[in-house]
Amino acid sequence: MIAASLQPSVPDWYGVAASVLLVGIAFFLVLRERLGLGREVLVAAVRAAVQLVAVGALLLVLFRHTGLPGALAWVTAMVLLAGRVAGGRARGLPNAMRVATLAVAVGTASTLGLLLLAQVIDTSGRVVVPVGGMVVTGAMQGASLTLQRMRDEALTGRRAVEARLALGLDGSAAFAPHLRTALRTALIPAIDGTKVVGLISLPGATVGLLLAGVNPLTAIRYQVVVMYMLLGAAAVAGVVAGRLALRTMFDDAHRLVA
Amino acid sequence: MQPVLALDDVHVVRDGVTVLDGITAQIAPGRCTALAGPSGAGKTTLLRLLDRLEEPTSGSVLLHGRPLPSYDVLEVRRRVGLVQQVPVLLGSTVLDDLRVGRPVLTEDEAVELLGRVGLRDQALSRATASLSGGEAQRLCLGRALAVGPEVLLLDEPTSALDAVAAKSVERVVRALVEEGLTAVLVSHDLRQARRLADDVVVLRAGRVEEAGPAADSDYLAGAS
Repeated sequence: MIAASLQPSVPDWYGVAASVLLVGIAFFLVLRERLGLGREVLVAAVRAAVQLVAVGALLLVLFRHTGLPGALAWVTAMVLLAGRVAGGRARGLPNAMRVATLAVAVGTASTLGLLLLAQVIDTSGRVVVPVGGMVVTGAMQGASLTLQRMRDEALTGRRAVEARLALGLDGSAAFAPHLRTALRTALIPAIDGTKVVGLISLPGATVGLLLAGVNPLTAIRYQVVVMYMLLGAAAVAGVVAGRLALRTMFDDAHRLVA
Repeated sequence: MQPVLALDDVHVVRDGVTVLDGITAQIAPGRCTALAGPSGAGKTTLLRLLDRLEEPTSGSVLLHGRPLPSYDVLEVRRRVGLVQQVPVLLGSTVLDDLRVGRPVLTEDEAVELLGRVGLRDQALSRATASLSGGEAQRLCLGRALAVGPEVLLLDEPTSALDAVAAKSVERVVRALVEEGLTAVLVSHDLRQARRLADDVVVLRAGRVEEAGPAADSDYLAGAS
């Protein structure tokens, strides 16, 4: 069981204040090089601080007082937001928002549900929220890439799809090769990420645990779980998004309407 | 003789624009009917209505006297095949391509089909990517025939081909009609329409301007 009960060495508020110096350096360089980004640097820095303090305060309340239901409510809010982002990327497909949200929800629920049921992760809010966030991100990428690619395939592959329809194939069969292409494209980032993890990239979960003083061999155990769940979430969300989108792309007379 | 396909007062309005404006026409069995007329007259839209790839805004399209929506749409498309303007190959080999609409097609049947579309010498294992334009379009014809249609819709089937390839496709189409197949040909090439068609329906601005035997057509006569 992976739980978080560590006392990591993190910067105190004085340290955070000192890091403002780095914003000052960035601001100075931007002004000196006349990039016209001075205001944006300041706005970004202030925004980051305000957003993170707000999220930190909210998580504090969540972890202390609401337990698992509160954490799941937080994950649900992330799913809705992720659905909007993924759906927005697939504009042009019918009901893209609804399809994307459902796909992210199913991808997240199945992956996170399995991790919780098998007691791979702790049910405390401080575990469910960050792990849920990673699962939602993986599911969002899977759904988003699948839907984007399906929309592109519907445009570029229209002649081929209609040629199959004209042979008496139904919509699903006529689009099947294009769905496969879309899913392959959507899953490649998750598969490649899994392949090179540790060699090229040291992901956030490992970095966080190492910073928190956890033994590297323990940290990688967590990372293995994270990579597998990202792969699972992307695959489930991608396939669900693909199947649901397919239903909306053809009308009753098996005509491509997307 | 009862027409295979008929259009009864068909209107198509798309995005507020009238594409077809009260079309009534018949497609006789065992003959090649050309849909002729200038660009934008609605020829391709009319052709797509016959395969239910598009739906009329009002009026009806009939197959053997029955409205198309009363049939299973997949059955309609198996009975009314379509060959598109630009050949789109769907399989990686000739045999794969022929099997898209009929997965149970045997190799003997495939060889026979290739013979009907003038590709007798082609190996079933040949990569479709290596076919010339004319060969590809004839393979598309063969693929449509594999499903066993009674009507073949041809949407400008030679416009993307050079003259020699176009002639090879024309020979195949004419031979298929002689075999008894019903063909509907969209063509803006009046000479081709004269060569291939038994009947003609001339469209202009979404209306039927002329319909009848191709030999009597004033519109096609303008080609000579």
